Formats: sequence, structure tokens, C-alpha cells
Amino acid sequence: MLKINNLKAKVGEKSILNDFSLDIKPGEVHAIMGPNGSGKSTLSNILSGKKGYDVSGEIKFEGIDLFSLETEERAHKGIFLAFQYPLEIPGVNTNIFLKTSLNAIRKARGEKELDALEFLKLVKQKSKELKFDEEKLNRQLNVGFSGGEKKKNEILQMSILNPKLSILDETDSGLDIDALKTVAQGVNALRKKNNSFLIITHYQRLLDYIKPDHVHVLMNGKITKSGGPELALELEKKGYEGLN
Amino acid sequence: MEKQLIRDFEKSFENSNLDSKKINFKKEFLNKFIKEGLPGKNLENWKYSDLSKIIKTEIGDLSFYNNISPPNKIDSSMYLSGFEHNSIVFINGRAEKIDLQFEEKDKVKISEDFELEKTSSNINSLVNLNNAFTEKNFVLTVKENYSFKKPLVIYHYTNKKIKSQNLNLRLNFELEKNTSLKLIDILDDFSEKNFINTFYNFKLNQDAILKNYKVDIKNNSNIKYSFTNIEQDKNSLSETFILSSGSAFNKNEINCNLNGNYSSAFVNGILSLNKKKHHEIRTSVNHLTESTKSYQLIKSVLENNARAVYQGKIFVSSDAQKTDGYQLSKAILLEDTTEFNAKPELEIYADDVKCSHGSASGSLNENSIFYIMSRGLNYKEAKELLINGFLLDVINKITDEEIKNLIKSMIGLKE
Repeated sequence: MLKINNLKAKVGEKSILNDFSLDIKPGEVHAIMGPNGSGKSTLSNILSGKKGYDVSGEIKFEGIDLFSLETEERAHKGIFLAFQYPLEIPGVNTNIFLKTSLNAIRKARGEKELDALEFLKLVKQKSKELKFDEEKLNRQLNVGFSGGEKKKNEILQMSILNPKLSILDETDSGLDIDALKTVAQGVNALRKKNNSFLIITHYQRLLDYIKPDHVHVLMNGKITKSGGPELALELEKKGYEGLN
Repeated sequence: MEKQLIRDFEKSFENSNLDSKKINFKKEFLNKFIKEGLPGKNLENWKYSDLSKIIKTEIGDLSFYNNISPPNKIDSSMYLSGFEHNSIVFINGRAEKIDLQFEEKDKVKISEDFELEKTSSNINSLVNLNNAFTEKNFVLTVKENYSFKKPLVIYHYTNKKIKSQNLNLRLNFELEKNTSLKLIDILDDFSEKNFINTFYNFKLNQDAILKNYKVDIKNNSNIKYSFTNIEQDKNSLSETFILSSGSAFNKNEINCNLNGNYSSAFVNGILSLNKKKHHEIRTSVNHLTESTKSYQLIKSVLENNARAVYQGKIFVSSDAQKTDGYQLSKAILLEDTTEFNAKPELEIYADDVKCSHGSASGSLNENSIFYIMSRGLNYKEAKELLINGFLLDVINKITDEEIKNLIKSMIGLKE
């Protein structure tokens, strides 16, 4: 589904990712763990098409060259990024934003857009599943939301948009244990044979609830070690320094 | 300009019904204006909008004799549709049609007589020009304990039949005790390169409520100045909303005197400008007695060489304890060819007050755009969504739901 070959990324003269390669197959859950400044957020930004990086190498998503697609086209193809720091958008109603977003994606895919009633039904069901306070959907997008609510809102958006590849950029940071479980539940509910996940995290904690197929250690812009779920536990014990 | 002014003044009043006392009175204003001239950069008030220079460049020499005798046709296309309202149609400065069909006849009085005592003096040179040339004083009085059942829309039309380059209009409103009026001013121009100078005077007696919406959205090459004076007695409320977007130049000046306890004033506005337009809102809210309140929110969106100015002043006299005054201006500059000038001022002589002001300007947040695009909207849609949200905040300050929706649809804002 996602194939990254020798990805290099620089900001100005500073090299952030170096010969980074990764292969995610349909239905797989990959976790990337790494210390601060190892390039985790850069990776998620580049996958979503954020400007400001000089990149080389190759990224293919379902065989398509990702660099040829704009940010919104990547969303249309089924890539979703749950932001580490979701933005507050004043004056934009959360519900209406979600509907606009879903219908923009459906339209681009040639699917029928949802009318207000169909959307309401969907959003009600998803909010209930994720224990997301529906009243908040009538507020301005992320404005006045707590850190945990913002993250849950990202997961709600994810479950409504039902993407093929979800990238979770440190979604677990700043969450209490209940919120963490809810986020994990949202991910697990979407786990199907064709949906893949790339979970970027500092800690092993989230992986207690979302069992990854593969765990990678990212240091200084490249993957230094890969393994199964046991690698995350090892990291937790030894720390990044003790891994060599 | 002096000779032209004297000539046009004499022409304007040679066949007038005004007695010589009134004409001499007007002459004094003319002489004052001749002495002061059009305001320019040398005055603090006009520092960011050099009107004298703008008129010179955009229009050239002004002429002032406005022979408004040719009749103008009025047709239904001139009215807002799907919105029940009373209306007054001004064409080239003359009241052509007054229709107060929704109101009780004996509760509203309209007169067009020129009365000396209704003339305000020494405000500024443009008000002096206005006083010199307006032959009629349009006065609308809402009688005690009466609330307008439907909004009143004043259509300010101009067309190519205007003979002069300058047009002066004078409107007075008196809201007697315990009355209310919703007033919408729609500026609709078919004339080109005129200088339009309008003077509004509102007197709000005890418990009166005025909601005034000033809408200038049609693209035109006219240069406009309007001065609005609002006098407020005890427990009265004024809500002024300015949507400033269409004219080449437009300066709205609001002076509000909170003379009575528990009176409050709200001034909200949007400056949405492109194509070298230059608009200004200048406010002066004067808290002159105890327990009064004011609130101002002005937002600007600027592109393509546009320029916006907000000068907002809150004055609190030494008698005005327990004042609550607030003002905020924000601007989004979409291109680096645009300019926003803000001059927030607080002048406070009382010690038990709550006052604040703030001003911020900048470009759209690229991270916000990225966030929205990552949800499937393209760059243009993301930008529009952010601007829409930015402006909606001001529109939502409009307390009348029907008018709020009307204005939203006029500028294509979505909820």
C-alpha cells in the first residue's frame, strides 16, 4: 500500500530524514518509535504533502507517486493524518467542517455526497462509538477544546472519513488513560484487511491497546532497527540509547 | 476651488425658499469650509487617508452645484426582494419615494424642513461643507413608545444624472422615549467619480434602541465620507454595523456620546477590500456618565493593493465611573501589496473602569491551511473557509436574525 524507498528530506541545509525506507502492506499496523528530533513528525508531514521540505527518493501509495499529488489529492486517495497539534479554526463549525471534508473526498472519488440527514446519522453513530460529546460538534473547530478533546476529534474525523492509510502523529501524547483507550478503540474499529496504520509515538503505552504488526526504531533520520511488538517492550526497558 | 464654491453656492440658493437668515447662516459654514478646505494628511484624523490628495487624484476639481431637478424613475428592481421592509429611496441626494407601509401613520413623523437649531457646528470641515450645501434637513421622528414593526431600508442611489461632483446629504433621526428602529443603509452607485458626503445625526432618548446597518458592497469609483453622530440618553442602546467593501474610497466616522446612565453602544464592522480600495473606520465612543458600556469589533480582509484603516477611540470622562469599554481590530493581509493601519486609543479620566483594546494583523496561517487541505479541501477552498470563519465572527454580532441572514447572503458567507 505504502512503499517508501530511500527517502531523504532536508529543511535548508539541515538533513532530517536519510535513506528512510518502509513498506506497509494492506491491513498492517506499523509503529514508528523514536526520540525527540529523530524525524518522526517530518515523516508524517511529508506523507501528507506539507510544503517546506526538500525531498528526494520515492514514495508510492498504491502504486502512485505521492510527490505528484497535492495535500488534498492525497486525502482523496485515502491518506489521513491525525495531527500531533490539531489546529484551532475559529468561525468554522465542527459539524459543517466534517461534512464539507467528507463530501469533498466523496466527490473527488466520484461517490454520491451525503445529505444533511445521512451525515447526521453517521456522525451520531461515530461520536457514540468514540464517546465524543456531540454537543462539541456544534462548536467552532477545536476552539476551546482541551488537548484530549482535540485528539479525540482527530480520531472522530478519521473514523468518519474511513481512510485507507491513517497516520497517527503522537496521538497518544497528552492523553489520560481513558482517552487513550478510546483512541485505541477507534483505531481497532477501523482495522480491516485493507486499512493500514502508521502510528508514530514516543512511548510503548499506546501499543498496549493497539497491537502493531511491525515496530521500527527511528533515529537520526533512518530506521535503525525493526521487529515485532516485542521491540517496543524492549525499548521501554532499555531506552533508545541501550538499543545498539 | 474658492471661486467655484461661491459661484455654486449662489446658484444653489438663488431660487431657494430659505429666508435670508438661513442663507446667511449657511454662508458662515461655507466660509468656514473655504478657510479649512478639504482635510488632508496635516490633520491627525486624516493621517492615514489623505482625502484632499485622493480627491485631487481621483476626481480633480470639484463642482458643488447639484441641480437635481430631472426626475428619476423608480422600479421594483431597486428594492431588496424577499424581505419585508419600509423604504426611503434617495436618488442623487433627493428623497424620491418614502414608503412606510408597515407602520402606524401617526407614530412616525417625517419632515424635510431646514431648521437652524438642528445644525451641528464645528465638527469638521466636511460637516461644514454639508451644512453649507444641504437645502433640506431630512428628519424622521419615532414617537414615544413606538417600535418599528419592520426594518426601514434607506436606498442611497446615485446615477449619471448628477450634475456636480459633490453630493451632500443630511439625515436626522429622533427616537423618542422607549422606541426602537432597525435601519439599513444600502449604498448603490451607478455614478462615477463623485464625492459623496453624508451626515447622520441620531438622538436616542431614554430606553430607545437603534440598530443601524450600513452596507457598501457594490463596486464603484466614488469617494465617500460619512459622519454619524449618536447622542444617547439613559438606558438607550445603539448597534452600528458597517460593511465596507464597494467604493473606491470610504471613510465612516462614528461619534457616539453616551450621555445617560446604562446606555450602551456597539460598533462592529467589516472592511473587505481589493483592487486598490482604501477604506477607513474611525470611531470615537465617549463615556460621559456612570455605568455605560461600549463594544467595538472591526475585521479587515485585504488583497490586491487594498488599504484599510481603523482608528478607534474610547474616551472616559472623570464622571464616567463603572465604564465598560472594549475594542478589538483584526486584519488578514492576503498579499504583501496591502496595508492595514490601526490606531487604538484609550483616554480615561475615571478610576473605576474596565477598558481594553487590541489590534492584530497578519497573513493567513499556513498551518491552518495545511490542516484543512489534509481533510480533502483544495488551497482555494481552505483559504475561503478560513476567511469565512474570520468574518463570520463579526456577522454573528448582529443581533437581528433576519438582518444577519440578509447580510450573510449579500456577501456569500456560509454558516
